[in-house]
Amino acid sequence: MKKFFQDIKKYYKYIIYATKSNLKSEVANSYLNWLWWILDPLCFMLIYTFIVEIVFKTSEQYLPIFVLVGLTAWNFFNTTISSSVKLIANNKSIVTKVYIPKYILLLIKMLTDLFKMFISWGLILIMMIVFKVPYTIYILQFFPVLIVLFVLSFGIACILMHFGVFVEDLSNVVKIVLKLTFYLSGIFYAISTRVPAPYNRILLNLNPIAFIIDSFRKTFLNAHLVNYRMLGLWLLVGIILSIIGIKTIQKYENSYAKVTK
Amino acid sequence: MSKDAITVKNLHISYRTLKGFSIKKNLLKLKMSKTEIFEAVKGVSFEVEKGKILGIIGKNGSGKSTLLRSIAGIFSPDTGSIDLHGNSVSLLSIGVGFQNKLSGYENIFLSGMLLGFSEQQIKEKINEIIEFSELGNFIHKPVSSYSSGMYSKLAFSITAILETDIMLIDEVFSVGDVKFKQKSYNKMKELISDENRTVLIVSHSLGTLKELCDEVLWLHDGKIKQIGNPEEVISAYEEFMKKD
Repeated sequence: MKKFFQDIKKYYKYIIYATKSNLKSEVANSYLNWLWWILDPLCFMLIYTFIVEIVFKTSEQYLPIFVLVGLTAWNFFNTTISSSVKLIANNKSIVTKVYIPKYILLLIKMLTDLFKMFISWGLILIMMIVFKVPYTIYILQFFPVLIVLFVLSFGIACILMHFGVFVEDLSNVVKIVLKLTFYLSGIFYAISTRVPAPYNRILLNLNPIAFIIDSFRKTFLNAHLVNYRMLGLWLLVGIILSIIGIKTIQKYENSYAKVTK
Repeated sequence: MSKDAITVKNLHISYRTLKGFSIKKNLLKLKMSKTEIFEAVKGVSFEVEKGKILGIIGKNGSGKSTLLRSIAGIFSPDTGSIDLHGNSVSLLSIGVGFQNKLSGYENIFLSGMLLGFSEQQIKEKINEIIEFSELGNFIHKPVSSYSSGMYSKLAFSITAILETDIMLIDEVFSVGDVKFKQKSYNKMKELISDENRTVLIVSHSLGTLKELCDEVLWLHDGKIKQIGNPEEVISAYEEFMKKD
């Protein structure tokens, strides 16, 4: 673990620079440039709002914001997890030529997504004004929940990144599991009211993403206290997964270059 | 006191157990496929003194690049040890970590920082790099618009001007046009002849090696066939290759 923090200290400038470069190169050649970072979440928000209100004829309070909160948290988790599997293969040119602690690559990817996620959070704050949702002190809960989301994603992604090097078709499995998680996380419906009695508790407590999304909604929309005991528990799980992931990567990272030939 | 910069002891590197497998294949077969063992480097030991230049020759697939990469820290040895005595090391390779959509200028930072230099160090050297690469105004254009020659020129300049204690060079003498080739060769010579710099060169151009190296190591099927005076080793190698 000591090595992990030393690496962060040694590479943090590179992490920041590479993150900036990633963002820059993403907008370099597209017509609407960074506008896509705003349009993308907005469009998906409209799609799901349409499906829920018109097709399923149900609704939640402040539905568009409700959906956007879910989508924002989900997108971060989703891109982190699904890209982690192929991360080493995609960075083949770096991995086979210099030594770099492999979780640095993951952190660069996560920070890039984190930046984009913050644009989405900004949109939510603006939409709250439009929909006349009051700003309350509970919004400060945003930060602890975000940290849990980050740590948990990092832990899972570290472990998947390791196995992704050796297992060729892991990405197919991950894709299916993620799709299932998507529908079980209540991104466009409220688990506590739409899922029948015993199952909604179970789902909210056992699916960390459902729990985190629910907590974000409590933070922004319901002005309600987050369940801090569960939050602490998931933070602990996230830290344990991260430690396992970091240790595994440190043990095996030097053989990654042999596999990605 | 020994003044060795690199000490390699009984180094073995193999590609066994590490074949990727897929879940689908294993479900269909219901048993693990037999793992293949391929040993690329089989028990190599040598030392390089500080400031010396070691050339490595051998036919394709004899483990030269694997050896260099393990010294650079990209591979871990299966058994044996590599001791660099605390020197910084870089594998002189082309275009590490380039982002094709960004300008050459930004890529110098990106690549340099990846090689372990600080932003400050790169800033000090950046004019030298740009000048050496002969790119002129193209330095502010995206790398994806470069011709392949310009691309390699930039990449070569970055690694040639950002210096480390130990340099590992894997076949980079054929970069750019005739003029740049001569220039990079001279730069190479200048870098190499620095007394504090230890250099390992892998090359197939025997003439170059004869001229530059203090010692030549001949690798054959992962083992050292001969090591010593460049003239002797190279002529023995030439003899051997003719017979084959």
